Amino acid sequence: MRAFFILFGKELRSFFLSPLAYVVMALFTFLNGWLFISMVKAMQLQVSSRSLIYNLFSSGWFWMGYFILFPLITMRLFAEERKMGTIEGLLTAPVRTSEVVLAKYAATVVVYLVIVAPVFLFFPLFQTVTGEATAFHSGAVWGSALGLLLVGLFNVAIGTLASALTTNQLIAAMLTFVFVMLHYFLGFLQNFGMVPGSAWTAGMAYFSTTEHIRSLSEGLIDSRPVIYYLSFSTVLLAFTHLVIESRKWRV
Amino acid sequence: MIEARQLTKRYAGRTAVDAISFHVEKGEIVGFLGPNGAGKSTTLRMLTCFLSASGGSAKVAGYDIYGDSIEVRRRVGYMPENVPLYPDMRVDEYLRFRARIKGLGWRATRSAVGEAMDVCSLAGVEKKIIATLSKGYKQRVGLADALVNKPDLLILDEPTNGLDPNQIRQSRELIKRLGERHTILISTHILSEVEMTCGRVIIIDRGQIRASDSPRNLIRRLRKPGSVILERQGGVEPAKTQLAAVAGVKEVSVIHERDGWTSFAIATDPLHDAREDLFALVRRENWNIRELASRAASLEDAFVDLLQQQPPATTAASTSGPEETSDEPDTAGE
Repeated sequence: MRAFFILFGKELRSFFLSPLAYVVMALFTFLNGWLFISMVKAMQLQVSSRSLIYNLFSSGWFWMGYFILFPLITMRLFAEERKMGTIEGLLTAPVRTSEVVLAKYAATVVVYLVIVAPVFLFFPLFQTVTGEATAFHSGAVWGSALGLLLVGLFNVAIGTLASALTTNQLIAAMLTFVFVMLHYFLGFLQNFGMVPGSAWTAGMAYFSTTEHIRSLSEGLIDSRPVIYYLSFSTVLLAFTHLVIESRKWRV
Repeated sequence: MIEARQLTKRYAGRTAVDAISFHVEKGEIVGFLGPNGAGKSTTLRMLTCFLSASGGSAKVAGYDIYGDSIEVRRRVGYMPENVPLYPDMRVDEYLRFRARIKGLGWRATRSAVGEAMDVCSLAGVEKKIIATLSKGYKQRVGLADALVNKPDLLILDEPTNGLDPNQIRQSRELIKRLGERHTILISTHILSEVEMTCGRVIIIDRGQIRASDSPRNLIRRLRKPGSVILERQGGVEPAKTQLAAVAGVKEVSVIHERDGWTSFAIATDPLHDAREDLFALVRRENWNIRELASRAASLEDAFVDLLQQQPPATTAASTSGPEETSDEPDTAGE
């Protein structure tokens, strides 16, 4: 556990000491802000029965940026260490591989949260500036925050695994990009060529990030997406652990 | 300190380390010597728990490399080949991080890092970013990292690789000094290096141990007798008998005899320089000479000879042609 916190601190520090962190943060705050304004404008033109929060988070546009974000923050985790050979020093120190994997993962999740957190400043800011009455309840805020956390846990785990699979950061980034995107679009399969209400539609809905976020951003906390994201993240991290350990016996 | 039994590492279609057994006692400086690709790094990686063995077992500092891998790693300071470091960290920051993950507390870390930097003469660069350091300094940072938690055993993989001659000399001095406090296992492919620093040498080639002895004994075994060429005016005898009687001379043979001059090849003991005694004989006998020269056989040459003389039975069968052409055997043949 000691080693976990030391490695966690080191990962966080190395991320926030690099210019990449600030570029990504600025870019994302800008993108999200621009999207937020577009949403407000759209809702001015057309009356919506949904809250601003619901509309923002269920919009496909909001998630486009995330296809880039996850590769950017996860690609170097293991690929860089393997490329430079520093993994050898790291894993011959008295630390468990699980501590290394979890520390890198947890630090990246924190980085992700720091990057997306400003989104939640938009809502109170909007209200202060416009003096509009509260158009959403706190449940929606907490629910969507939980949704963003879950999506982050899951996608950072994808990136962590991809980064462990290769010594090339670019390949790690591409793999993450492809799998983050595939997973996102998996949820849309329910809409294609199938009768609504069929087993296919119902089944595919379980994978739909959009569906999950919709229910969460209405303040409805369903245990199914929670278990879905947490269990898949765990499995992905277990695979990462396996990949790192496989260097020992790979021929 | 190290007890390896039948340690084996197989990669697909290739046995990198073939059932080697050796031991290293506490306080020894042992050199792990072999040509590139002999299996040195693989062995060291197994001992430091970075790779698993395909067979056999090893105990390091009394702990099994499988069962108590964490305990083994706690007691070993390892400097991997080419000294990988985090290039964007500062020297002191890096060493503090390494000391911390090796289990030192805050207070202990501060003194341990200071001490390691002193030992490795890193004063003055502690605030520098590692990427900006020269190769020699990087190597010293790696060494400071290896010894920061005062491990019982230091394992250094080619510690002088890529350094200039002056830096090599400095790092040898440093390793010798460290040997007073730590047991050290260093790997190298440079023979003269182990000759200067190590108390014992293990020679490994193609995954097998070929010899394990003190450098002095190995030199005796490996080095071809040196030779001195002496050309004097006059016949073969009695000069030949007189030359053979000089201390350190093993054998005297005649190279040629013409125009009243005779040239002798005098084989000498590799550990005994007989030239002065030979010259003393020349003066005493008032010989007229026109050549007195030594042809010392190099240790490296002898070492290479040894490796080529006895190819292990397993690889001898698969290697049909000379080494140089093995990369493109088919196209070259047709």
